[in-house]
Amino acid sequence: MTYKNNKSNSRREFIKKMSAASIAASATTLPLASFLSSCSPEVQKRAATADSVILLWMAGGMAHTETFDPKAYAPFEKGLETNRVLSTFPKHPTVVDGLEFSEGLQSIGGVMDKGAIIRSYKAADLGFILHTRHQFHWHTCYEPPQSVQAPHIGAWIAKELGPANPVIPPFISIGQRFTMGEAEELKAFHTAGFLGSEYGPFLIPDPSEGLDSVRPPEGMSLKRFEARYKLYKALANKSEVMEQASDYQRESLMRSMEQSYRLLNSPEAKVFDLSQEPKDVYDTYNTGRFGLGCLLAKRLAQNGGRFISVSTEYEPFLGWDTHANGHTRAKQMKALIDRPVAQLIKDLDESGHLDRTLVILASEFSRDAIMEGRPGEEVRDQARRQPDKIEHIRHYGMHRHFTDGGSILMWGGGVKKGLVYGKTADERPCVSIENKVVIDQVHQSIYNALGIHPQTHYEIEGRPFYTTPDGKGKPILDLFGKPMKALENNIS
Amino acid sequence: MENTNWILQFFGRLHPLLVHFPIGLLVVALVFELLTLGGKRKGLREGINWMVYIGAGFAVFSALFGWLLKTQDEYSGDLVDNHQYTGIATAILAVITAVILRKSLKKSILNLKAYRFMLVATVILLSIAGHLGANLTHGEDYLTEILPGNKESYSTLESSALLTELKGASELSELQKDKLNLEVRGLFAHKCYQCHSENKQKGGLVLEHKEGVFKGGTSGLAVVPRQPEESEIYKRIILPANDKKVMPTKGKLLTPDEIALIKLWIEDGAHWSDKAVKVFPEAPLALTQPELPTVTEETHPVDKIVSVYFKDKKVDWNAVVDDRKFIKRAYMDVVGLLPKPTAVNAFIASTNPKKRELLIDELLNDSENYTQNWLSFWNDLLRNDYSGTGFITRGRFQITTWLYKTLKQNKSYDQMVSQLMNPSKASEGFIKGIQWRGVVNSSQRTEMQAAQNIGQSLMGVNVKCASCHNSFISNLTLDQAYGFASIFAEKPLELNRCDKPIGKIAKVNFLYPELGSVEGETLKERLLKLSEVMTSKENGRLYRTITNRIWERLIGRGIIEPVDEMDNTPWNAELLDWLASDFIDSGTNLKHLIKRIMTSKAYQLPTVSYKTAEAIKQDYVFKGPVLRRLSAEQFSDAISQVIAPVYVAVAYNPNEEKMPAQRIWHHQKDLTNTVLPLPGKRYFRKTFQLKKENIQDASILISVDDAYKLFINGKPVGTGDNWTNVGKYNVANLLNKGTNCIAVEGDNKGKIGNPASILFAMKVAFKDDTVFNLYSDETWLSTDVAPKANWADLNFEAKKWKQVKNYGTNNWAKLLDFTFKDHQKTFARASLVKQHPFLKALGRPNREIVTTTREEQATLLQALELTNGGFFNGILKQGAKKWLNTYGNDSRLIVDTLYQELLGRAPSKEEQNIVMASLGEQPSTAQVQDVFWSVLMSPEFQFIN
Repeated sequence: MTYKNNKSNSRREFIKKMSAASIAASATTLPLASFLSSCSPEVQKRAATADSVILLWMAGGMAHTETFDPKAYAPFEKGLETNRVLSTFPKHPTVVDGLEFSEGLQSIGGVMDKGAIIRSYKAADLGFILHTRHQFHWHTCYEPPQSVQAPHIGAWIAKELGPANPVIPPFISIGQRFTMGEAEELKAFHTAGFLGSEYGPFLIPDPSEGLDSVRPPEGMSLKRFEARYKLYKALANKSEVMEQASDYQRESLMRSMEQSYRLLNSPEAKVFDLSQEPKDVYDTYNTGRFGLGCLLAKRLAQNGGRFISVSTEYEPFLGWDTHANGHTRAKQMKALIDRPVAQLIKDLDESGHLDRTLVILASEFSRDAIMEGRPGEEVRDQARRQPDKIEHIRHYGMHRHFTDGGSILMWGGGVKKGLVYGKTADERPCVSIENKVVIDQVHQSIYNALGIHPQTHYEIEGRPFYTTPDGKGKPILDLFGKPMKALENNIS
Repeated sequence: MENTNWILQFFGRLHPLLVHFPIGLLVVALVFELLTLGGKRKGLREGINWMVYIGAGFAVFSALFGWLLKTQDEYSGDLVDNHQYTGIATAILAVITAVILRKSLKKSILNLKAYRFMLVATVILLSIAGHLGANLTHGEDYLTEILPGNKESYSTLESSALLTELKGASELSELQKDKLNLEVRGLFAHKCYQCHSENKQKGGLVLEHKEGVFKGGTSGLAVVPRQPEESEIYKRIILPANDKKVMPTKGKLLTPDEIALIKLWIEDGAHWSDKAVKVFPEAPLALTQPELPTVTEETHPVDKIVSVYFKDKKVDWNAVVDDRKFIKRAYMDVVGLLPKPTAVNAFIASTNPKKRELLIDELLNDSENYTQNWLSFWNDLLRNDYSGTGFITRGRFQITTWLYKTLKQNKSYDQMVSQLMNPSKASEGFIKGIQWRGVVNSSQRTEMQAAQNIGQSLMGVNVKCASCHNSFISNLTLDQAYGFASIFAEKPLELNRCDKPIGKIAKVNFLYPELGSVEGETLKERLLKLSEVMTSKENGRLYRTITNRIWERLIGRGIIEPVDEMDNTPWNAELLDWLASDFIDSGTNLKHLIKRIMTSKAYQLPTVSYKTAEAIKQDYVFKGPVLRRLSAEQFSDAISQVIAPVYVAVAYNPNEEKMPAQRIWHHQKDLTNTVLPLPGKRYFRKTFQLKKENIQDASILISVDDAYKLFINGKPVGTGDNWTNVGKYNVANLLNKGTNCIAVEGDNKGKIGNPASILFAMKVAFKDDTVFNLYSDETWLSTDVAPKANWADLNFEAKKWKQVKNYGTNNWAKLLDFTFKDHQKTFARASLVKQHPFLKALGRPNREIVTTTREEQATLLQALELTNGGFFNGILKQGAKKWLNTYGNDSRLIVDTLYQELLGRAPSKEEQNIVMASLGEQPSTAQVQDVFWSVLMSPEFQFIN
């Protein structure tokens, strides 16, 4: 099987395959965590405009003024007043009339005719600004801590829609390791919570090693792998305990083993193998682990991935978390994301998958050179002292957390093309001033595209727990064009 | 497009109107048709014919318009689909019926029968379609909700009975007044709270409490004592159903009896009782030990009670399980380990009639293993863990040391609860909760967490709902939750409803005020009072809750389920109360409770199979224990016992030899920031002075992630490539008086940045009994540039080498073997290990919140971890090598030993053949590894049967 720009896979074949896959999936799905009772009003499937989601996660707080919403450029010079610094890069036009991006994002600018930009995101006001708290909030839509374990948006989607291809786990998280500071806080939201671990993330910290998680253990040939499974089956069937095989627990154990065996034995595991890509494609994506993560996400989306997140990875003071050297670091980060993100959109578009794949690029909050928090709600400063006048390049950049503005990019999955939604002020503080968007709306927009009912909820410990708090979030319908009424609406 | 759409949509919306025609016409046609049976009432014929024709016509239109409605208005879902299919089928059948009818008119008796049959079929289908349609508009439970036995419907029988009683009386007694008022308030709760409660004050009216009722709402006074006609409530409930102002607007109107009752209450002066209305069933607090039934056939108290229960439920006693099964159960339940084959055989061979009880005693007396097994249960219950959110900002504290000691010394449950309520530094972590930085939802402030966790873990009551608003699932109110939380607060708390302050200060109170006051000037005083109130013997709830939990642990299903909702009905209240009282009589001795249950026949019955998980939850009848899966910790420890150590390092080591050694590595930076160590070799040096000559003994401990070469004064000492294998070296002859130098070449493997470290300790004992210690710390130097060949020599000048960085202990657990002492530990019990992906996959919870029941069901992610997880398969491989070393190539011996050790029995002939065929004459590591895997994956191993 080759995966080169899947043009040969016509749309119809693709759909056929997907449907077959979902039927197979539903036949083998394990029983749900039994203490849950779905309270979703008769599990309505809405007309969906997307089947899968790729979340490109800009971890650490990406400054909107340095990326997708540039303001007046103040070039570096010794003695530059910090207050004059809104953007440390010049602007460049994009393919969309009137839409300008910061320097270093020209490739992404080149695919904006296929997607939309929200320029008015407002992160929540959670008092002290802690990255992992805002990330928890972004990914679960709930503020930590909660009295029950809140599920990640990927887990909700996995639970409601199941795998699109039975051999590809429905929630895959690429790029984040859990080793340094705040690892526990990161783990707290990389979870299916009360939905049950069945829907939890399948973690691939290093995309170049993704294949290892879906093939027989290292050093085990396929032949040996098959023989081992046969031996297990033979022994399990001979065992005395299996005489009373009617117990649901035993059955679910046997079934899960069989499913796992089929998955690991499946030729489709090659989807996870980046070495199947031609060298030039690989090189285009390879700006580092994030770029390769985009490449893996592309392969997954083209072959029945459901929810895939690719993170630039959060480590305190690394990545987008610029507390010093902001300008230099932003340049590095843009170089990391620009090419692979643009290529991902182009490739999905070319293979026909972009129509049904919603790609989102977002960050937990934005940054500013001066303001920590938001106007009126300034919070304790966490940056090293920022001098009023910049004498050294390391002081040049956005070193504080800003929650009152921010950009989110979206492509595909029914999103209007070339749309610019919302606006931030051109002077400091560069707050959202038009069509303000909060996280509940972002989640509901994603659910809307996927056809997941906005009131979806489960009762846990006597409490109805909704996808967005109290089920009150509303999708931003302006983001979507007219819903497509095609055959594929039936896929789910 | 746009223009035609609205027309289609309009037609679609005519569907509900149109459907009534075929319903009416076809049903009446059928009735008339029945009337003509036997050739009677021939006059109806013509009318029936037209009804069928027109009915069929309308059925077709209805189906068509229905389809339009579905597509134009985007209805979807199973219910809609089913309605659609039955609707279309009805239309088709109706048309067929009409056609056959036309033919039958042409004198064919056969056709007449066929037509009548079709008409009946059409009407049946029509009824189904109609019902499904009605469910769509009115909700699926529209019909069933009024059926008797539904929990939501409020019994009107009581109202009527009370009304009859009171109407007969000339003047109401105080008791009757109270009764009347409570009944009326019960009515309010069921019929009015939905809109008129603190949570949702429609029209400004709150009917939950006295002030609200007499204050009224925006439409005026709700209740005017003695004047029903002036009371807004009465005026509104007597309005006709179609009046806009009638109450309740949602749901059914009040019955005449209910209305009369409210009227009577107002006429009688609207007396308000001091008693609280219990809308939801609530278990009594008090606990008295029930008399044991006089069952002579049984000796064990539990079995006496169960005997009576069995008789009542027509269940027969099964024979208890055999010794082989019993010993595995007993080991797993008490110490969480597999019995050794020798122990199994000795137990079976023993003829002592009391051997089961003796075994239980013996196991309970193994306090270390008992503690390390039950620690997981308590960690789950008390939300205690070695890692998790909050620790990073000192917003959370462990209670491990205290808990371990408490279990090891088998402190009484009373003492345990007292020390949790009124804690020392060592046990305060439980009520301190998890503090996140920044603003948190007021229902998650740490004081409220304390209230919630005590409620859930110790009292089996849900305070979580009530901490945000008056509970919808219990009688608890917001006031009560805040009153409870205020015990733990330095200052009285202001109530927040749904995270909004409501300008009311909480009054300190316990959830069950009848148990006594918890008020006090200081926090300490209140906590002391709380600890007394909690453990007062009137608080039967505390003891029932823990008794039920222990029963659930041992039997697989609680006497009450869910185990956190102790207001639910037990399957046998006598049993629960007897055990709880017995537990109190024992001095709240947890081991006594465990033993009491385990010595019963009820515990020793064979496991019962269930087809679904629901079957255990609902309509449960006790017949014997439920099949239980090995917990993550039990699974891991069993592998450690038999195959190879799964863990050799722990987060908490009760026998730790404390040393100040730090995990150090070359300081890896990106610009100015510290980052994860990159792969590659790094070089480390430490010089030190020895002031004396007469060395008695000098030993080194070293653990390096990932690999090392160790030198002393330029001479190679040893190498290692696995941080979990502690390198132990005797180096007395390499050291000299004066300056010495330790040098380590460390290698960080992998492709991307990942944790790396050196942990080093050296102890030099001199003949004069003095000791010199040296540890890895930040005074060591390192470089990432490959140095000259003599870099490990004493006289090498480490110019440009930099200070190392202490990379903390987060990524590396405490190695049991990192000690200078002798010890017997070959593996670490999983209960002492920090949360690990392998344990997590097997169901160990992240203890961010209290977890009282683990997910036991197998999942795909879990199966994947077991099937291809590198960690797990690595351990099996290591074990296979070990076994081959021990047993040589003897396939037969390997099979027999494996079955004995893992399953506690010899393999059958058939099993032996299968495994030996797979191992062959000369088994390889891979073959042994795969046999391990196959037996470990078997249900027989994974379940406690």
